[in-house]
Amino acid sequence: MSRKRVVVTGIGLVTPVGNTVEASWANIVAGKSGIAAIEHFDVSGFNTRFGGSVKDFDISPYLNPKDARKMDLFIQYGMAAGGQAINDAGLECTEANADRIGVAIGSGIGGLPMIEQNHNALNKGGARRISPFFVPGSIINMISGNLAIQHGFRGPNIAITTACTTGTHNIGYSARTIAYGDADVMICGGAEMATTPLGLGGFSAARALSTRNDDPAAASRPWDRDRDGFVLSDGAGVMVLEEYEHAKARGATIYAELKGFGMSDDAYHMTAPPEDGRGAALSMQNAVRDAGIDAASIDYVNAHGTSTPAGDLAESRAVKKVMGSGAETVAVSSTKSMIGHLLGAAGAVEAVFSVLAIRDQVAPPTINLDNPQEGCDLDYVPHTAREMKIDVALSNSFGFGGTNGSLIFTRV
Amino acid sequence: MQSPLVITGMGMISPLGCGVKAGWERLLAGRSGISSITRFDTGELPIKVAGSVPSFEDDPEAGLDPDQVLDAKERRKLELFSLYAMGAAEEALTQANWFPTSEAERLATATIVGSGIGGFPTITQAQNTLLTRGHRRLSPFTVPAFLANLAAGNVSIRYGLRGPMGCPVTACAAGVQAIGDGMRMIRSGEAEVALVGGAEACIDPLSLASFHAMKALSTEQDAPTKASRPFDQARNGFVMGEGAGLLVIETLAHAEARGATPLAILSGYGTSTDAHHITAGPEDGAGAAAAIRAALRMAGLSPEAIDHINAHATSTPVGDKGEIAALRNAFDDALAGIPISATKSATGHLLGAAGGVESIFSTLSVMHDRLPPTLNLENVDDDLRDLDIVSGTAREHATQHVLCNGFGFGGVNAALIVSKV
Repeated sequence: MSRKRVVVTGIGLVTPVGNTVEASWANIVAGKSGIAAIEHFDVSGFNTRFGGSVKDFDISPYLNPKDARKMDLFIQYGMAAGGQAINDAGLECTEANADRIGVAIGSGIGGLPMIEQNHNALNKGGARRISPFFVPGSIINMISGNLAIQHGFRGPNIAITTACTTGTHNIGYSARTIAYGDADVMICGGAEMATTPLGLGGFSAARALSTRNDDPAAASRPWDRDRDGFVLSDGAGVMVLEEYEHAKARGATIYAELKGFGMSDDAYHMTAPPEDGRGAALSMQNAVRDAGIDAASIDYVNAHGTSTPAGDLAESRAVKKVMGSGAETVAVSSTKSMIGHLLGAAGAVEAVFSVLAIRDQVAPPTINLDNPQEGCDLDYVPHTAREMKIDVALSNSFGFGGTNGSLIFTRV
Repeated sequence: MQSPLVITGMGMISPLGCGVKAGWERLLAGRSGISSITRFDTGELPIKVAGSVPSFEDDPEAGLDPDQVLDAKERRKLELFSLYAMGAAEEALTQANWFPTSEAERLATATIVGSGIGGFPTITQAQNTLLTRGHRRLSPFTVPAFLANLAAGNVSIRYGLRGPMGCPVTACAAGVQAIGDGMRMIRSGEAEVALVGGAEACIDPLSLASFHAMKALSTEQDAPTKASRPFDQARNGFVMGEGAGLLVIETLAHAEARGATPLAILSGYGTSTDAHHITAGPEDGAGAAAAIRAALRMAGLSPEAIDHINAHATSTPVGDKGEIAALRNAFDDALAGIPISATKSATGHLLGAAGGVESIFSTLSVMHDRLPPTLNLENVDDDLRDLDIVSGTAREHATQHVLCNGFGFGGVNAALIVSKV
């Protein structure tokens, strides 16, 4: 089976630092943090009282607000990022191409706010108080479903859920779908809105979250010796992937080529990586092999870098193992230092940042990296963005369950 | 010429009991796995029946003894859907005799276990804890217990399967799509062996009440075994089931090289979208028909070559009609000659696990030339009278190729073709 080339022709973002691609990217390059106190529910009594919330979100450009009310927020964020990406790609769905356009947008958790509301309604008022829109408004595959309905895309439709690797896996899956000829265009990515009492309480109980309540903007500090956990955040990232000849034929703007995708599993522990980062390394190696490139040619790594003690160290070791001497010069940054951890949306948002790093030839910074921990000795682009040559960018995601995914984008 | 993809191991936990053998024998014997809900007090909930996995106490012959799967201390860290997946995985890997020990074999084994909902009971219990006792009382295992990909995660950890991991969460099509994903990973060279299928366990007050709010569930109360009645005029909704169905798949060349017995061939897979409505299919079934055509195309088969259809048929008034429309759309006049079974009449609807369990039933049909019966089919819909729906008792029937369907909310369609070796 001959493999087709896959390129990125559209991008969309809803993040804690902006509700569009350009707004988010400007703040990321400027090193601004989107982390702040949580204000949408009463957090008093919680160990962690801040997060990366989406601010001033308006669904009306993307969806009739009346329909949107029947959808949980993660779906609305996904619909917004999806609408942006489709519009950016100049993609029009016609009777001739509808069967060849698919959607793969996942979520790590899905409709937690609606689950909590309806559970409370059930406890208080009984089964009659459950909304008929609850199930379709909260299940994970409804971004894929609703975008397909809105635009008429009749090709493959899926939503992969692999915790914090969700976004990366959906994009990689979509690239395969195009490479093997099952679709010409895929709308893909991830969305999340799990900053609820149960989400915050659950991750807090797992001792995964930073508790730096006195200085939220400094809480996400990957590789810094004073890091104390990740910051729970919301948002969505979506990209339009397209078969290269298809994109050229319609004159689409090509951001980058999706050259490689790799996956692996730690097969080690539910929530912790092995210390040597071997699972992460394998995922990167698989992506490098798939791309047919030399690992040392990678210019920029958008790291998973969540700001947890164990994860950051393991990922740094994995980068060294995969890149060898190339690890001495590669720029590695964690944009989570500014937006926190968007769980199932993280991989998609960070894939978009990686593509933008190639477009603008700039590596975004890792903010709050004041004192790198011993053993964390890569070039993490601390504090300020750096203009540099970026022809090859790699984006990593790792999730609970030991699931790993890596994407490699190259300049076209 | 590519080496065909084959199934070399199967494992199942379903409302019909634990183990492929028990489930198949009971299915052929026309037994129902649907019963009154006793796991919790249904109180004023109008839903009283479900396809629960029987306990060892109630069903000494094939009930679930959780200690046989995992010790009590470990069980506290994970949800029932993960436990079911681990039980099914042990059986499937044992039959396939695939317990990779070398680094290379482990890295070449993928784990793709879909789920429609994930650990829903954990979420509702945690919410109760949060409201009544505060967040400090939440278990640290809350999040890893409910994440949908943790069935795949827990299975991969237990057996050291370090290749790609995945978890499609595409409502009721998740199980079939997990199998399709595994097929693709082997074809693309990312894995040599894949453990694929689905797991689900969300028989819980909130999920029952929510599907009820959509008027999707049967409200039968007095006669549980009569509640799931696909294609029957008196059907009034689906019955929620639970369990897991997992397959070990690999290329025939890989199976032969290691001396494994191929049980059946996975010859075709197709997937598509309705792009129509969040919960209802289009009347002409065009979306589902496109998935079926894609599967036939991959298998290189004409519609007439299909000997049996294991239908998605959930026992909802609209869904069953839509599926038949899709089948007529894809098969045209050939449909009248193809026997159709709806095994959800015996198991209920296992949501994201349905595709896993039903692909196993489809495999057993090609292995044994036996078609399972559709229970409770007393008065077939008027416009289905020309079709051959296997009702009442199992049927012997020479079976070369079986079509197995899975459709989900959001308009997602998937179709699989299983063929004789």
